[in-house]
Amino acid sequence: MPCYPDLIGVVVARIESVQPHPNADKLVLCDVNVGQERKRVVCGAPNARAGLVTALALPGAVLPGGFTIKPAKIRGEESCGMLCSAKELGITEDQVGIMELAADLQPGQPLSQALGLVDTMIEVDLTPNRPDCASVLGIAREVGGVVGKRIRPPVAAPPVLSGENLPFSVEVESSADCPRYAARLIKNAKIGPSPWWLQQRLLAVGMRPISNIVDITNFVMLEYGQPLHAFDFNKLAGGKIVVRRAKPGEKLATLDGVAHQLDSEMLMICDAERPVAVAGIMGGANSEVDAETRDILLESACFSAIGIRRTAGKLNMSTEASYRFERGVDPQGVPKAMERAVQLMVALAGGEIVAGGIDYREGVVAPAPITLRGKRTRTLLGMDLTLEQIATALTGIEIEVEKIDDDTLRVTPPSFRVDLEREIDLIEEVARIVGYNLLPTTLPMVPMIFSEPDALRELRKKVAQTLTALGFYEAINYSFVTPQHCDLLGLAADDARRQTVHLLNPLAEDQSVLRTTLLPGLLENLRRNLNHQSHDVRLFEVGKVFHPQGNSQPEEPFRLAAVISGRRTPGAPVLHVGETPADIFDVKGVVTQLLDSLRFGAAITCQAGVVGQELPFAEPGSVLAVIGAEKILGWCGAFDQKTLKAFGIKQQAFFVDLDLAALGGFTPQATSCAVLPKFPFVKWDMALIVPEGVAAGEMLSVIHGCGEKFIERAEIFDVFQGKNIEAGKKSVAISITYRALDRTLDDETVGKIHQKIIEMMISRFNGQLREA
Amino acid sequence: MQEELLRLKTAAGEELAAISQSDELEPFRVKYLGRKGEFTLVLRHLGQAPPEERPRLGQLANEIKQELESAFAELEARLAEVGVGSVQPTLDLTLPGRTIPFGKLHPVTQVMDAVCSIFEGLGFAVAEGPDVEVDFYNFEALNIPPHHPARAMHDTFYISDSLLLRTHTSPMQARIMEKEQPPLRMIAPGKVYRCDSDITHTPMFHQVEGFLVDRHISFADLKGVLSVFITRMFAENTPIRFRPSFFPFTEPSAEVDIGCVICGGKGCRVCKHTGWLEILGAGMIDPEVFKKVGYDPEEYSGFAFGLGIERIAMLKYGITDIRLFYENDLRFLSQF
Repeated sequence: MPCYPDLIGVVVARIESVQPHPNADKLVLCDVNVGQERKRVVCGAPNARAGLVTALALPGAVLPGGFTIKPAKIRGEESCGMLCSAKELGITEDQVGIMELAADLQPGQPLSQALGLVDTMIEVDLTPNRPDCASVLGIAREVGGVVGKRIRPPVAAPPVLSGENLPFSVEVESSADCPRYAARLIKNAKIGPSPWWLQQRLLAVGMRPISNIVDITNFVMLEYGQPLHAFDFNKLAGGKIVVRRAKPGEKLATLDGVAHQLDSEMLMICDAERPVAVAGIMGGANSEVDAETRDILLESACFSAIGIRRTAGKLNMSTEASYRFERGVDPQGVPKAMERAVQLMVALAGGEIVAGGIDYREGVVAPAPITLRGKRTRTLLGMDLTLEQIATALTGIEIEVEKIDDDTLRVTPPSFRVDLEREIDLIEEVARIVGYNLLPTTLPMVPMIFSEPDALRELRKKVAQTLTALGFYEAINYSFVTPQHCDLLGLAADDARRQTVHLLNPLAEDQSVLRTTLLPGLLENLRRNLNHQSHDVRLFEVGKVFHPQGNSQPEEPFRLAAVISGRRTPGAPVLHVGETPADIFDVKGVVTQLLDSLRFGAAITCQAGVVGQELPFAEPGSVLAVIGAEKILGWCGAFDQKTLKAFGIKQQAFFVDLDLAALGGFTPQATSCAVLPKFPFVKWDMALIVPEGVAAGEMLSVIHGCGEKFIERAEIFDVFQGKNIEAGKKSVAISITYRALDRTLDDETVGKIHQKIIEMMISRFNGQLREA
Repeated sequence: MQEELLRLKTAAGEELAAISQSDELEPFRVKYLGRKGEFTLVLRHLGQAPPEERPRLGQLANEIKQELESAFAELEARLAEVGVGSVQPTLDLTLPGRTIPFGKLHPVTQVMDAVCSIFEGLGFAVAEGPDVEVDFYNFEALNIPPHHPARAMHDTFYISDSLLLRTHTSPMQARIMEKEQPPLRMIAPGKVYRCDSDITHTPMFHQVEGFLVDRHISFADLKGVLSVFITRMFAENTPIRFRPSFFPFTEPSAEVDIGCVICGGKGCRVCKHTGWLEILGAGMIDPEVFKKVGYDPEEYSGFAFGLGIERIAMLKYGITDIRLFYENDLRFLSQF
């Protein structure tokens, strides 16, 4: 992609004259020369002055961040564009005022052309195993492998350094922490800005130019992948570098202005007295190269990857240098990058190089050779490759191979490929160079395997299927919630659901504990929907809740929860079905239909009158327990007003909350087909007046349980209180279906049974027959 | 008798003349012409008339009945004709039908089910694991030791030093291989967690991990199985590209791209003008992972893959903000 896509429509402009803005103290009117024409631009920058050559974004230009320039009236004055700072254009971080460009630039010229910013950027997404490619040379080497060419590095082989008669010394405490440390001294350098070409290269990759010396260290790091550091030599006590772990109590303020407390696990670069840099991560402010610096001690080193990771993690720092060291830097690259930087410093900062230097290299280990089998490569990749093809692929990316027999290579990984340690690593290289898309595509020859389906997973699918058929949409909420949910539900202090699993590093306080109930999530969804004018809501969720178990993994049982609110028949035409709101019998119906679809028969039932401590959020008297094998498996009912208010919900709502894992413990009834009855049924009704406290459900159970074999089913079709019914009583109308399997029942037979039942009901429930 | 017949004729004639709608025809027919109709009743009494009168009365009755029957038939035909041309608008059928509410599965579930069923069709078994995972299975068993740079790719939610919310469904690889011997063909769907939240990342999302281990399994087999998956999941002619990548638990590792489903490969905002969309990560299971579970990497080989469900759902349905998945807004959920 282009390096600076945002510079389209931005041109070089010379301010010819500046006049005060009639309506604003801080703004000025600039008469701007853009080559062919003059333009009037309103500007608020303090450095806008006649004669300044700067950057003008013309109408139509789109600045970084998507801001489109349009002709506008600013405080009543026309402005045909915007004079920009380098930051506004995304060139540098400099935002003191509008850009100050060289006076000889041609007004009207596109800015990108004038500044030589017309360039193409290639963005490379690097995987963590390839630190060698975190450099221009590394990428070039890969490209060379593809196109069959070798790269030519910018400097020839570095000189061998003599450590004799140096005005400084280096001491490395542990070769494990620091396998290689090279240092050279440059005297009488002139610190100043880098030439534009160098600045431009840094800017192109988003780095801020600082000074020639610092820019060179960054530039060479980008080029070679070897981080470098420049110390102001005269700030180093005793002219000495000691590479050692920090001592207890030592502190260091780094270049970013942050003061760090150090510990003995952190590797430091120190002078004779104190730390002057966090090794491989960032320099210290106390040894920084500044405008006054004359003599520079240049460091090129290699540090233990694990050590740098640990220190960077502890100090919470991540830099270009630490990125590379954490992943592994080529120990053989240390002197090469040093030589390149030294040459640039001499050329660009006028420094004098002090002969000789330090090259401590006691920790450098030569990479071990790896045996690569042709057969293994072929079977793993599924491709017929000759040993020659394999060898060619590797040598193309500077990996040296030696044939040891007909089908085996001895491979010596180059020092820059810190990721190559095993045969499989080489097989991957071969696959990569051959090209994944050229490898064959086959289907595996594998045996038939039959595995047991996961019963709980099947149950979850069945539940979801039934609930969607019953009009519910499926919700999925985050597993982490706010700890306040327990309070909003009004859970008791000793409620088990208050025992939550806490995240150590939540994104926010309201996502800091793992949920122990699904209901709050659904209540929040309900509120959201109501707030967005979806008033008729049926939502369900099947998901895990989490119960802590000390230091072990928590228990993660699946639950099922659902909410109903608004109209009974969401989405159905009001014209036909009215606007009746849902009530408790809607959730009860959902539960019974669900249990029915799961074929649990009478093993699990919905029971009224069970008192539950765990439902402080339910309306008393509007709750049903779901019971199986004498255990409470869940509940359905109405939310109380206090809870609805706590969740910001302004209409009635009902819930279902079931322990799905426990449901899974029940065996569905076997499916067996019954013979269809050949003879018709007859329906006889009765209306009984009973005390209002009598539960209609119990009346049905008594009929079902009375043992009369012709009773097929009994159904309540009306419950009535009021006119013509004595106070404290109610009328319950029941319809009983009678059928015999072997004949058509006659009225006489049915009449006798029906009368017997009426009498039984009257005596059992202290009732009387209601006259028609 | 004759009077009776003539009275019937007049009454029936008047009633017939008043009929204007076809649903009035049948009651008329039953009343006068049916088996229990009035003419039949009159004729039944014919026997009571003097014998010499009977033929004449009988003939009269028949004439009147035939007359009425033909007038009735004519009217019936006329009304039927009117019916064909223009139904009288008694029912406004433009009113909406009476619907029964039904809901839908969450789009994530729908895509998850679609993905799983393709692999189940290829003989992969399904296994699910814990959301709260131990560090060992999430990282170490997958060749990601502490301080490994790959850990930086996983923004992990920690619960304690050793417990975390799994950052991928890959721990199931290690858990299953530890317990069972090859041949293995499994997928592990589930929720995964990373501390990251913006327009393309939610701190919780869904993945399906899959792996196959046996003797002689090759990278070519990986390409084959994933190609089948992609053509089933998207379209038969979907372009597929395998790109080298890095995962600590596979080698060689690959990322798999499909031709952009939005622009057809021409380049658009969704595919960042590359024409390709990355949809899954895969690779040959690293020998280190096999060693950790006690398999001999010289004897067995296998491949593993992982894919993000939300990403596929976003591509399939053109969803531009991943956060919509977890707001559970009915205006969103009802679209799928």
